[in-house]
Amino acid sequence: MLIRKLAAITAVAAIALAACTSQSPGASTAASVAASVAASAGAPCTVGVSWNNFQQPRWAAHDEPNLKSTVEAGGGKYISADANLSSEQQLTDVDTLISKGANVLVLLAQDNKAILPALKKAKDAGIPVIAYDRLIEDPSILYLTFDNVLVGKAEATAILTKVPKGNYVLITGDPGDPNASTFLPQGWDQAGLKDKVASGDIVLLNGPKGTATDAWKTEKAQANMEAIIDKAVADGKKIDAILAENDSTALGVVAALTAKSYGFPPLSGQDGDPANLNNVALGKQYVDVFKNANELGKAAGAAALALCNGTAMADLKLPAGLLDPTVAPAAGLSAQDFTTPNGTVVKSFILQPTPLTADTLQTAIDAKQISKADLCKGVDPASAPAACK
Amino acid sequence: MTNVADATPVSSEVKPPARTSFRSLLAQTEVDLRLFGMLVALAAILLTFNVLSGGTFFRPTNMVTLAVQATGVAIIATGMVMVIVSRNIDLSVGSVVGVVAMTYALLMTDWMPNVLGMGVDFPFRWVIALGLGVGLGAAIGALQGFIIAYVGVPSFIVTLGGLLSIRGVVWYLSSGAAVSGLDDSFQLIGGGAQGSIGGTATWILGIVACLPIIALLISGRRQRRRYGFPVRPVWAEALLGVIGCGAVLGLAAFANANLWPQGLANRYAAEHGIPIPAGGLHISTGLPYPIILLVGVTLVMTWMATRRRFGRYVYAYGGNPDAAELAGINTRWTILKTYVLMGVLCALAAAIAAARLNGSTLDVGSGYELYVIAAAVVGGTSFAGGIGTIPGAVLGAFVMQSLAYGLSFMGVNSPGQNVVAGIVLILAVGFDSFNRRRGS
Repeated sequence: MLIRKLAAITAVAAIALAACTSQSPGASTAASVAASVAASAGAPCTVGVSWNNFQQPRWAAHDEPNLKSTVEAGGGKYISADANLSSEQQLTDVDTLISKGANVLVLLAQDNKAILPALKKAKDAGIPVIAYDRLIEDPSILYLTFDNVLVGKAEATAILTKVPKGNYVLITGDPGDPNASTFLPQGWDQAGLKDKVASGDIVLLNGPKGTATDAWKTEKAQANMEAIIDKAVADGKKIDAILAENDSTALGVVAALTAKSYGFPPLSGQDGDPANLNNVALGKQYVDVFKNANELGKAAGAAALALCNGTAMADLKLPAGLLDPTVAPAAGLSAQDFTTPNGTVVKSFILQPTPLTADTLQTAIDAKQISKADLCKGVDPASAPAACK
Repeated sequence: MTNVADATPVSSEVKPPARTSFRSLLAQTEVDLRLFGMLVALAAILLTFNVLSGGTFFRPTNMVTLAVQATGVAIIATGMVMVIVSRNIDLSVGSVVGVVAMTYALLMTDWMPNVLGMGVDFPFRWVIALGLGVGLGAAIGALQGFIIAYVGVPSFIVTLGGLLSIRGVVWYLSSGAAVSGLDDSFQLIGGGAQGSIGGTATWILGIVACLPIIALLISGRRQRRRYGFPVRPVWAEALLGVIGCGAVLGLAAFANANLWPQGLANRYAAEHGIPIPAGGLHISTGLPYPIILLVGVTLVMTWMATRRRFGRYVYAYGGNPDAAELAGINTRWTILKTYVLMGVLCALAAAIAAARLNGSTLDVGSGYELYVIAAAVVGGTSFAGGIGTIPGAVLGAFVMQSLAYGLSFMGVNSPGQNVVAGIVLILAVGFDSFNRRRGS
């Protein structure tokens, strides 16, 4: 009797849930466009997302809600797991997502090599995989990211324009992340860092490859930067500019500069974290290259739904009007070939980053990345940037 | 520096040393050989880096940076000694530091002004924040300690659970965002040029610290004579006094040789209308607050471990749990207290970390458990229980941090630093157990 009762209750709950999902209103344009993408969907689509960690603010604040709402607006179901910085945990997570019935997998890989067994399982099960923001070296995947080479290029262009000659410090991220070791430095070189080092205009104070930061930890970057400042002072050299790869390391650099009362040489970062945008407004960080993660989440949601409907990777096309035109792929809305550092060719959507300096901070407020109050906290009204006036 | 366990009454007659080797002379001063060896090792590490860097390493500024970087781990290590001595472990310290650091940051940027109605101008906000943080640390410690001591779940499991779940709480507190913008007064806890007591105060502190050293030596000698314990030769007493005072005053002079950065000094001069002399304005920073906090914690913890009933109970339980129980010691209450103490120390370390960052991020404190346990173990704490000293653990923290800072200074990347730290840990403990075996 009890079992029958329970079954009935479950069934009612399931129907109610189903009704709710199908009735979710496509309020925003993005949602309605996504809904039209999935309009032809026969069976319901389950999108399984494996996040590597929520240690960095952006995943939970922007990527996940947009991905989720785009999938749900298109009639799909969103399931996810957080591997909490462990590549082993991530393998288990992917197993769980597959057994929960995921039709498409979105993977934010903790480690681009350790994830390969999970990818093989997905392939064996015939499940298409989207490599979200971090590359996985395999021809079968769809790579969805911001152009990280362009991010590095935007960081270095801003700093090199501000400080064309002098002593530079390079702070890189986790040595196991290809963004840290390959793409961002490539962008720095494309912006002219390499040539200026060769010509002698720029001297690298902490070695040609800079100082790496385990797991992009702020405290680690802070301790490293303090040692670098001490060394520069001991050698009688002045630090003129600092290229930091991302915001969590840039935050550590600012803390070190503050502790040493060194002043604030032009410093780069990326991610558009609120604490860092506040530092840009305060004049402690010169540029923060902002990847509008809302748009990346939307793009991933739309691509996942299309893959669910059986669209081949080569024929994928992002719906027009889904993405902000300044962020949408420079190469157009159709999937493009992307050659990985190892020479593998994969299909990809590569979105464009937005460099933010004190002059262009309004963009961050407009993208709802930060509130005006948080952005302008502690800013002296006399020297406030335009966005704080 | 002698341990309680070592202070067993022997015959009242002072036996003359059989031969005057360096070892026996050292024995007469009753200096802890293990501590002495670690000081030598620390000096050797610093000197090696100084040679490798061409003489630029051993400068006051660098040494102060190194010391400040070591304070957080060193403070927690003093508590970890008590925990390991009583045959337990605490893996949750890094996460506790994270949750308390995030609490400080949120208190000052959000909860105090928006919930508690304490605006930026509210008096003593930093004291209130610190008090609440220490309270939170103690509460977490008490909960974990209760489960370990009274429910009987192994400490490894309880604190491993703490490591995971408390780190998760940090995420929920700020929804994953970094929080920054602490009160100026709170930031002083983190050190830096302004977070230091200045040149004059450092000299005064040095001289004041010298007096108790001499007083302790004299009263100790009197006490020993009264109860018929062997006394040190007069030359050894004098030598200890001179070395102790010399070390304190030398450190004060060294800290005072650390000057304000020129830019800051010039700005200060301009604001206060002080003329800048030809050679530039020299303002001594003196001792930073975090180091003073560490010295205070070390003294209080050493006093608790060696002079208070609580400390004796901890060592007694660690030496032989059954005997301690049968002797009528309330062992469960003692264990619970070690974890409360640990929580308080984590909250102090969190204050330093948050003040140094001027805020908090999700990863503050992550990995501390390993550095803290390494510091305690390098400092001579034994996992067999009953053995370990507070100053040893502090020195252990300095040994580990001087390696990390020195390698960083030389431009060695963090994977290289980790390799060296791991090898040193094994070498230190291996050397120690070799010595113990030979000694017994």
